[in-house]
Amino acid sequence: MQLTSANLPVYAHGCAIASSGGGGATKTPLAMAVQAVDTLGPVEVVTAAELDPDGIVMPVGLIGAPMLATERIWSGDEAFVLREQVEAQRQGPVVALMCYEIGGSNGLLPVTWAARLGLPLLDADGMGRAFPEMQQQAMHLAGVPASPMVLTDGCGDVVVLWATDNYRVERLARRAMSLFGGACAAAAYPMTAARAATAVITGSVSRALNAGGSLRLRARDRIAAIARTTGGAILLDGKIVELTRETDGGFVRGSAVVAGLGRDTGRLVRLEMQNEVLLALEDGERLAMVPDIISVLGSDTGEPVPTEVMRLGERVTILAHPGPAVWTTPEGLAVAGPRAFGLPFGYSPIAGVGADAR
Amino acid sequence: MPGELHLGVDVGGTNTDAVIIDRRGTLIAKAKVATVTGVRQAIGQAIGLVLAGFGAGPDQIRRVMLGTTQATNAILERRGLQRVGVIRLGYPLTTALPPLASWPADLRAAVSVGETIVAGGSDYDGAELGVLDRDAVARFAAAIAGSAQAVAITGVFSPVAADHELEAAEIIRRELGAVNICLSHEIGTLGLIERENATVLNAALTGVVTAITEALQDGLTRHGLRADSYLAQNDGTLVALEAALRFPILTIASGPANSMRGAAFLSGEEEAVVIDVGGTTADIGVLIRGFPSDSLSPVTVGGVETNFRMPDILSLRVGGGTRIGEPGSAVQLGTSIGSRLTAEALVFGGTIATLTDAAVAAGRMTLGGHAVPAGRRDVLAAALAQADALMADGIDRMRLTSALWPLVVVGGAGALVPADVGGVSRFVRPGHYDVANAIGAAIAPVSGYAERVCPSRPDKKAAAIQETCDDAFARAVQAGADPRHVQIADVDEVPLSYLLDPAVRVRVRAIGPLLDLPAPAVPAGGA
Repeated sequence: MQLTSANLPVYAHGCAIASSGGGGATKTPLAMAVQAVDTLGPVEVVTAAELDPDGIVMPVGLIGAPMLATERIWSGDEAFVLREQVEAQRQGPVVALMCYEIGGSNGLLPVTWAARLGLPLLDADGMGRAFPEMQQQAMHLAGVPASPMVLTDGCGDVVVLWATDNYRVERLARRAMSLFGGACAAAAYPMTAARAATAVITGSVSRALNAGGSLRLRARDRIAAIARTTGGAILLDGKIVELTRETDGGFVRGSAVVAGLGRDTGRLVRLEMQNEVLLALEDGERLAMVPDIISVLGSDTGEPVPTEVMRLGERVTILAHPGPAVWTTPEGLAVAGPRAFGLPFGYSPIAGVGADAR
Repeated sequence: MPGELHLGVDVGGTNTDAVIIDRRGTLIAKAKVATVTGVRQAIGQAIGLVLAGFGAGPDQIRRVMLGTTQATNAILERRGLQRVGVIRLGYPLTTALPPLASWPADLRAAVSVGETIVAGGSDYDGAELGVLDRDAVARFAAAIAGSAQAVAITGVFSPVAADHELEAAEIIRRELGAVNICLSHEIGTLGLIERENATVLNAALTGVVTAITEALQDGLTRHGLRADSYLAQNDGTLVALEAALRFPILTIASGPANSMRGAAFLSGEEEAVVIDVGGTTADIGVLIRGFPSDSLSPVTVGGVETNFRMPDILSLRVGGGTRIGEPGSAVQLGTSIGSRLTAEALVFGGTIATLTDAAVAAGRMTLGGHAVPAGRRDVLAAALAQADALMADGIDRMRLTSALWPLVVVGGAGALVPADVGGVSRFVRPGHYDVANAIGAAIAPVSGYAERVCPSRPDKKAAAIQETCDDAFARAVQAGADPRHVQIADVDEVPLSYLLDPAVRVRVRAIGPLLDLPAPAVPAGGA
């Protein structure tokens, strides 16, 4: 399987669907990825079994405010800096890149870097969606250290972090990123291909291609197709009638109220957001919650609507689909369940959808 | 003593309209001519006609406002564009996406004489991103000397700190002399690629807007008018002619904003859904505090994404000239026959069934003189019902809350919309709805716009917002507004996520009237 300028738009759509409204817009990183594969050739997508078991898999992405990266666009050369540092620290060759976060812009950026390095991309990721913090990775649950984490600003400055645990890595990385101007290129959780085989969420790139594979359909059919491929349920078709957003502790928090239209007239669904959409509520009943994925799609376009650009009056369809199974284990919920986001209740599966459709 | 009247002109694809209004906005005369003969003639004819209808001397006209789609058409048709050298400041950053990478190849070929990325630019907090590579700027200038009529300069985060763009402009001026230079911080907001695209298009459009300006001046001179002239902008405000020559991109697609402002003024509605039905499309937008609500998604011009302010418009292919399909055909509503309507539609003795015929048959319009054949009435009624359903659905989509909103109907084919359209709290089709566009231009205020990124800590933010407001205020006054009546129209704060020291992007627009219109009641703050 390859990522080419032909299927990258489909893939980007799938990344946006997986993002649960967070992870940053895919438009600019998609344009970069298209530019890169057009000039340097397609990016091979491989499984861990196809790689040298002792070779190093380098998970990469952006850390920081995705919006800043629409102004401070990358050069692509960050990839060389990240690889050089990781190889120096691990004393072995990097044989593949991996998206540490498939959801949103971080599903695309590694494609540009893989093209620049001439390396394949592992059909996997660390989150299976978008999450705000670096310990919210399948590799963390599997016991892989996030260190050494490498951060670079694209202008040649580099920070290498060694921390005693993955939560410390997150804290230190966020401070370093701020000093760098709000957004850094990063590599973390470097591991051998053998280790990656059991530590990552597999098939993420293929899944994004499948979920996004219906671009030619009309919006309504496209949304139905997305629901089918992701094993999800359409919660409501309506219009955003209330919207509040504010910055708090480095995150955009807020809520949106969607009033039902057509068959859903008279219903109101509230979405609670912290960068990602965390929770969908109706009459106090919890319809869907993190770590399941709540996608807000334009009813007329079928395009995912990131939380940062939601607009009052917009017509949207709310789709909930199961997050990766690794996050609904007790260990997974401790890291990325509702309580990890400060919500005062435990996890329950999406109303009307099997707990483990994936 | 010169008069105080305003003359508004709207150059549309089908018709050119002209109106004269007094200080209070009362319509004194209106005229409509076909644009088919060319822009220069159409402007001249419309001005002549409206002055004749008014009857008083041209010295009564104090100001002339022009709204036009000429700049958009120039880009769509790749016609009359200037050749531009493109400089970006930010190396080594941004090289993964070179300038104009996503432009349609033919437009890029028509516009660009070369592109370069050199070191320079700013960080989000205004700190220097890199030292400006002055030599590289000078080398690029030498390379494009003779082939470039204009140069577009875009620096990373230049809306926050513009020093490097200004310094690069200085170098270009020294090397190339009297070349037209466009700087991105004067044109667009954050979002490097979209701002760069707008800046390059702006540079390319200078010649087109010069031609329109000359056409207008020519029309004014021929009719003995010596008035201050303005061009209408996308956001429903005006820009003085000299400024329009510097920022032609801002006059692109002023039509929707003009018709919505005209609708607000004619109806007195400040919060409403507006539908503007012309010959080809029905454009639906929303008024908030008397101004069109802006689109948040990027605006595409001729296949190029830009990020300047445009009203959020839903365009339906429903207009007076919309062709109606035969019974049994899959598509009931076809494309528009445009200016051929008055020759070929059934009510004008032609053979083509249009929505105008359907509206006449249904008693909504009185037009033409030929009866609609009885055998076609069922088809016409069915098509009209389909158009009604499309418009009702569009109106429902655009209202911002779940409550019903008032509907204001304007445009040459405004009579197409039935008074019992449904889904609205009130139906308003104001007097002179057919020339709302030209009226919107004639009553428009001037504006000033400013933005910056600042820390969201309350103490620092308050000071930064005040500075941004001061900048916007000063720019509105610079544009010709009376400082006593300039108001801050909106303060928009967008939080930037994932930063430890939270930052917000603040955008401020100040608006000041040129007329003695009641000041729009606009609270400062809120987003």
